[in-house]
Amino acid sequence: MDNSILRLPAEQLFEEELNALIKAEKDPIPEGWRMSPKSVKTYICGGKVGKTVITPKYIGHERLVEIAIATLVTDRALLLIGEPGTAKSWLSEHLTAAINGNSSRVIQGTAGTTEEQIRYSWNYAMLIANGPSEQAMLKSPVFTAMEDGAIARVEEISRCASEVQDTLISLLSEKRISVPELSLEVPAKKGFSIIATANTRDKGVNDMSAALKRRFNIVVLPAPETLEEEMNIVKTRVEQLSESLDLNASLPKDKVIEKICTIFRELRGGETLDKKQKLKAPAGVLSTAEAISLLCNSMALAGSFGNGDISDDDIAAGLQGAVVKDDKDTVAWKEYLENIMKKRGSEWSGLYRACRELNE
Amino acid sequence: MSGVNFFGIRHLSPAGAFYLRQYLDEIKPALVIIEVPSDFEDAVSDILRSETAPPFAILAYTQSVPIRTILYPFAEYSPEYQAIKWCSENGVSVQFMDLPSETFLALSDERIREAEREIDENNEQDDSPKEQDGQDPETTAGQNPDVYELISEKSADGSHETFWERTLEHCANAEAYHEGANLFGANIRELSEKNGIDEKETALREIYMRSVIRNAVKSGISPEKIVVVTGAYHVEGLKTWETDEDVPTFPKLPSLHTLMPYSYYRLSTRSGYGAGNKAPAYYELIWEGLNKGDRLFAANAYLSKTAEKTRENGNAASSAQVIEALRLAGALAKMHGGNIPTLSDLRDAATTCIGEGSFAAVSVACADTEIGTKIGKLPEGVSRTSIQDDFYRLMKELRLEKYRSVTAQNLRLDLRENIRASSEKSAFLDLERSYFLHKLRVLGIGFAVLLPSRQDSATWAEEWQLCWTPEAEIVLVESALKGDTVELAAAFQIKETVEHSADVSVIAQAVEDAFCCGMSKAASYAVSALQAAAADNIPFNEIAKTMFRLSNIISYGDIRKADCSAVEPILKQLYYRACLIMSSSCVCNDDASQEMSNAMNMINSAELAQDFLETEKWIKALREVSSRDDLNTRLSGFAAAILLERNEMTNDELKTEVSRRLSKGVPADLGAGWFEGLMLKNRYGLIARLSLWESLDNYLGSLDDDEFKRALVFLRRAFADFSSGEKDSVAENLGEIWGLNGAQVSEVLNSTLDAASQEIIDGLSDFDFDI
Repeated sequence: MDNSILRLPAEQLFEEELNALIKAEKDPIPEGWRMSPKSVKTYICGGKVGKTVITPKYIGHERLVEIAIATLVTDRALLLIGEPGTAKSWLSEHLTAAINGNSSRVIQGTAGTTEEQIRYSWNYAMLIANGPSEQAMLKSPVFTAMEDGAIARVEEISRCASEVQDTLISLLSEKRISVPELSLEVPAKKGFSIIATANTRDKGVNDMSAALKRRFNIVVLPAPETLEEEMNIVKTRVEQLSESLDLNASLPKDKVIEKICTIFRELRGGETLDKKQKLKAPAGVLSTAEAISLLCNSMALAGSFGNGDISDDDIAAGLQGAVVKDDKDTVAWKEYLENIMKKRGSEWSGLYRACRELNE
Repeated sequence: MSGVNFFGIRHLSPAGAFYLRQYLDEIKPALVIIEVPSDFEDAVSDILRSETAPPFAILAYTQSVPIRTILYPFAEYSPEYQAIKWCSENGVSVQFMDLPSETFLALSDERIREAEREIDENNEQDDSPKEQDGQDPETTAGQNPDVYELISEKSADGSHETFWERTLEHCANAEAYHEGANLFGANIRELSEKNGIDEKETALREIYMRSVIRNAVKSGISPEKIVVVTGAYHVEGLKTWETDEDVPTFPKLPSLHTLMPYSYYRLSTRSGYGAGNKAPAYYELIWEGLNKGDRLFAANAYLSKTAEKTRENGNAASSAQVIEALRLAGALAKMHGGNIPTLSDLRDAATTCIGEGSFAAVSVACADTEIGTKIGKLPEGVSRTSIQDDFYRLMKELRLEKYRSVTAQNLRLDLRENIRASSEKSAFLDLERSYFLHKLRVLGIGFAVLLPSRQDSATWAEEWQLCWTPEAEIVLVESALKGDTVELAAAFQIKETVEHSADVSVIAQAVEDAFCCGMSKAASYAVSALQAAAADNIPFNEIAKTMFRLSNIISYGDIRKADCSAVEPILKQLYYRACLIMSSSCVCNDDASQEMSNAMNMINSAELAQDFLETEKWIKALREVSSRDDLNTRLSGFAAAILLERNEMTNDELKTEVSRRLSKGVPADLGAGWFEGLMLKNRYGLIARLSLWESLDNYLGSLDDDEFKRALVFLRRAFADFSSGEKDSVAENLGEIWGLNGAQVSEVLNSTLDAASQEIIDGLSDFDFDI
């Protein structure tokens, strides 16, 4: 593996696991896939193949993963919906890595995404010089996925304008793309499909039309159900990330992870975990993904400026940034500090003091 | 080789039922022995009658208190039921082999007592009482549920239900099912033994069942011609039937049993020892599919029905979605190595494709498809208890049978004589129905619920909500101990209530019940008990409640053709007492005054309703309360309100009273309390009297600041529940007195408080009322 690359795509990062799975394959493989649906599930939910241990990539609802994979088997498009930070893109990346060995056919949906980016556009210099030709055509990831019989990903589909989203309707129902300039029709090969992700909470999204929604099987990814589950996710991911980032710090202790997850869950849910006290919920999402990045951030602080062990000050700095997104959040956060954290006893007192210092 | 053929099943297993029939066709046995309590054999002939429609259950119950019951439910797709049917179709004799129900009941009784003893002991050891869930003896009986949790953990599906369905219900042929189920049972057995799970009761049952098989063979039937149909778990245990062993004597509790209709809903809520059936309607679809030879029938039907129900609920569900869901379910099944989707595959597919990812959107439709509303039917007179017979006879006679369904239906009764009816019986049909439903109500049989009636028709109409549940049937059977007919049981219940209660108002309730049930004997018994109790010292509010009930009985007695002559003297007696003790009862604090004013109101309405009560006595008592200064002022005010309403107080008298009560010397809280009492009743009458408001205005004007603040608190309370219309009228009055425009005043009175005034008023809460 090339260590100089900041973020390796999933199929390279977990190349060994994928190869082991492909080698040990016994079940029938759908056309255009590299492994059987069962192996895809093992790759994502973890397990063991021969001597190779497969690390779990998605922890929690295995059944949802099954539904997602089964959807792709039936050549239906898959739409992953959920709050921010519920591992939608993560899951979609790993699904394509396992199924096609290529997770890079991505269109990132933004307010500026155009129809051309979803279908095809032109190299205008060549277009003007030679007129329309296949060489002058710039194929979108969806286009190439159709040609190769592979899966294309559309991230944050709800951030695209509605008319751009609807471009997908004809692609998904006809399963072919037409290039009138070249009087060309490209039919999709078997194995073609689309995994889209959409967000239920962010502002500035465009609702998907019912016509488009009907062309997808929708899987809703929930936030982790229990504290233990969330801690497990955070722990696994922080371990994986710190390896590739060389953070020079020791991994956070379970107690630290528990504290972070507790704070995040309580603020997210608007009540304490024992359900005895109502809280003001800040506007931020406080997703599991944020908890992971917070801990990595703290590790970076500890590794660069401290002694390599995460201190309460490192966490406090991260928490402040994660929780307080505007003025109203400051109030919610201060109330939480004084009403809840202060009263949690000696184990929390260090963190409480560090957080309060930042708010004085 | 033992020679006897064993067919392991799970109760309520469509594939088991279907393949068992094939198996029987193949073996052609001379005798089929089934794992059902052996004393239930007499029910076979009734089970086989053509009018009998599953689901039904056999209910065994003890004849003494406390009543213990056990239930054996059967559905169309129960292997046991199909085995019994097969035998009758092929002229083969059938035998039941499990412990008799008497022994089951004795064992469960023992277990419950033991559990209670343990709780007691625990309580003695540490004083903190432990929370103990009321364990259902039937679910903890037999195999330990832990074993099934182990399977759930081990299986790829994460649930033993799905595991069973995928591996056994979807078996392609009889042989696979037969071997699979036997193996499954053997494995479970091994697992339980390995985990040291106590199976005392199972051991007893198997000893008994082995002896039944032994005796069958001894009677001369060749072992090869015997098929034993039993829970898969027991197959291994029964294979050793040849070894002779001592059969112990089993404990017994005298008991009876009866057939009863059952419902799918109830079946789905009893998951029992791992052989649960959470989706009876879906399992019936599997049964239908097996009989049609279409193994995907259940999947297709499930999804189409879910879509149909979703549409009925007002949500969109297209055929395209059903097709997609079917494909998805198929793909999910394939991932688990199956060809046919299981219930969980289907449900998840419906959620994803029809519900667009949210289960909430399809949950109702799914529940309808999985559980359904089916209820079983039994022909008339089928081995029921006498009280059931009576119940069903009455249901038919009173033409209530169409209400015996699981969906609630309303029934409106007109208790008056129907003059157009041809016979006396049909003329009073609704009254008879009312008697009957009241009896059920008294017995606690949840078949009929009386809905509150509207004032205009309260005397002659009743509205009931009828909904049949198996629970109702169970309570009905339990009522068999109380009497042989519904009427006798109700009479017994009323007698019980009367004997065990100390409160007069409860006895009065029993009297009312007896009258509602049209049971004159029980009524006269309850009345005499009431008379005896009424002689004792009773608090004022108890008297009031009792009078209210008695007055009701007398008012509505005619319509119910009841003889109320015995009740009148009691009412009279209580009435005199109430008049005598009212003023002394009015010495109380404000908290108690609420109840007192309610009581006064009740007596007042009783007095108004019954002509034979002497009005003067009541008026006199009211006047006393109204005029005395040493009683609770709120009650004095209320007494005045009643007098005003009854036109027993003139305007002048009121004016005098107001100025006396609200004069400057009287502490403000007392004055305002009186005013509050006055405002409790007859508001419109009071609002119309301008003089009242003038006096109030004068009074407020005479107060100094401190006194005003104090009065304000109480007056605010008095006006708190006035509607804005009423406030408008008050405003008009005040406007007239002050010479202002009524609308302006109204606006001020109706506006919500601004922050500043609210603060001032909040400040008053801390006001020190002691002078």
